Amino acid sequence: MILSDVVLQICQVLCVLLLAPLLQGFILKAEERIQRSRGPSIIQPYRDLWKLFHKQSVVPESASWIYFIAPLIAFTAMLIVPILIPVLTDRPLPQSDMGDMLGGGMILTLGSFAIILAGLDSGNVYGGIGSSRAVMLAILAEPTLILVLVGISLLAKAMLPFVVNHLLLGSPSIYWSPAHLFLILAFFVLLLVETDRLPIHSPTHLEIYMIDEARILEYSGPLLALLKWASMMKQFILYTIFCNVFVLPWGMSQIGTSLGEIGSVVSLLAKFLLVALVVIVIETVQSRLRFYRYQEPLAAGFMFAVLAIVSSQLL
Amino acid sequence: MFLAHVNPLQASIFSSLAVVSLLLTFVMLGSHWLRNYVYAFAAQSWMIAALSACVGYFAGYPELYMIAILTALFRGLVLPYLLLRIIGRLNVKRELHAVLQPSSSLVIGAFLVIFAFVIANHMNSQSLLASRVVVLALTIMLSMKFLGFLMLTVRDEAVSQILGLLVLENGIFLGSQILVPGMPLLIEIVILFDLLIVVACFGMLVRFLVVHAGTTSSRQLNRLVG
Repeated sequence: MILSDVVLQICQVLCVLLLAPLLQGFILKAEERIQRSRGPSIIQPYRDLWKLFHKQSVVPESASWIYFIAPLIAFTAMLIVPILIPVLTDRPLPQSDMGDMLGGGMILTLGSFAIILAGLDSGNVYGGIGSSRAVMLAILAEPTLILVLVGISLLAKAMLPFVVNHLLLGSPSIYWSPAHLFLILAFFVLLLVETDRLPIHSPTHLEIYMIDEARILEYSGPLLALLKWASMMKQFILYTIFCNVFVLPWGMSQIGTSLGEIGSVVSLLAKFLLVALVVIVIETVQSRLRFYRYQEPLAAGFMFAVLAIVSSQLL
Repeated sequence: MFLAHVNPLQASIFSSLAVVSLLLTFVMLGSHWLRNYVYAFAAQSWMIAALSACVGYFAGYPELYMIAILTALFRGLVLPYLLLRIIGRLNVKRELHAVLQPSSSLVIGAFLVIFAFVIANHMNSQSLLASRVVVLALTIMLSMKFLGFLMLTVRDEAVSQILGLLVLENGIFLGSQILVPGMPLLIEIVILFDLLIVVACFGMLVRFLVVHAGTTSSRQLNRLVG
């Protein structure tokens, strides 16, 4: 049975929505296992979300309308991005031409921009600190992101992630070219920074280290659940881009049968397993950098992106 | 000329070896530990030795095997050993007072690579060698030279200045291996022995610094002493 394109597109969004907590749960569990403790259950993030959705919401007196609307913007933005990228199928589905890679990057950034505003909104001190740190990181990470997108579009001569996927599948010489390998390294640095991992983000949430957690300290109940879910979805989306567009373009459904879709979900999970294991190893062996050394990994990422662009001119 | 007709496999081998040695220069630029510099330099020399062996094999210059062996032996083993001995005796482990932080020097290095690429592209468009490997080799040669100059300028520990010089020289050597593979054996040997002398002289200078100025940092030397 061949599913229609609209159904497939809905499946893509649902896949991101429903499997994002599973990825988070797996990473948390595996980190604890590596440290030889038992760790939370792999479905603990689902339970947390369920609990938060059934709790009462407490709103600070100083909060304005931004406080209420920011979680909705962040969550909606994360629902839009899966439409634009290849999650399950390797061909464009309806509405995937709404935006190219820069458009997807903008929508991802819009979500975190809304949370930054929310952190500033209530006037809480920690919210302000979190927002200012997040903005500093964004300033450092954004040039690398733009350069990575420019580099991959120079390779593929197109701004669409589907084209990149086909190109990497079709020509091993481009896959193993230095330009592409440097782009993978640069995007991997971004992946670590944007998904709240070490060497920048601390896994324990103490106030002095907090970046992303500090912005949402004032939230509780369903709104907090939306924010947490949005950040898990952001992680899932970035992993998807990293796997399906950059590193492992294989194993995606081409025709769109329901069996093929299930197969591509399974292969997506297998790819995430690989990437997550690498991330977990890095989280275990790395210590958190001092605040004034945050720019070092990002400068390395920037350098990789520049080298990728220079060597893509030589292909 | 050999480079005008390389096949894609040879081109990819050359370019990956060259690019990895450029990356090792960035490792030296982004680290503060003197030992890391020496290890990166040794690895880079092995890369260059492999490169000259490959060029010798594909282009049919048997004397390049000799040069590859000498490079691996001298630049890959003897020079790093001597440098490690100097570092061990000096009791300095890391660059303390660098003018630039590692992250800023990485970003400046990235821009220097772009600059080198622009120059190489320009040089290539004037001559008629339309091969991409030529541009790559020129780019990497120039950028390794620029990065060597950058290391010489922003570092003031005496040992890292030797390494800056050595990186500069490695860059020229790498470029010459790809661009003019038939360079006479004698010149190469002379260059290798020159390097040994450079390191020996620097070793003596560093000792002189420690004895007379009580420091290993060259920044202390900008004061006139009567």
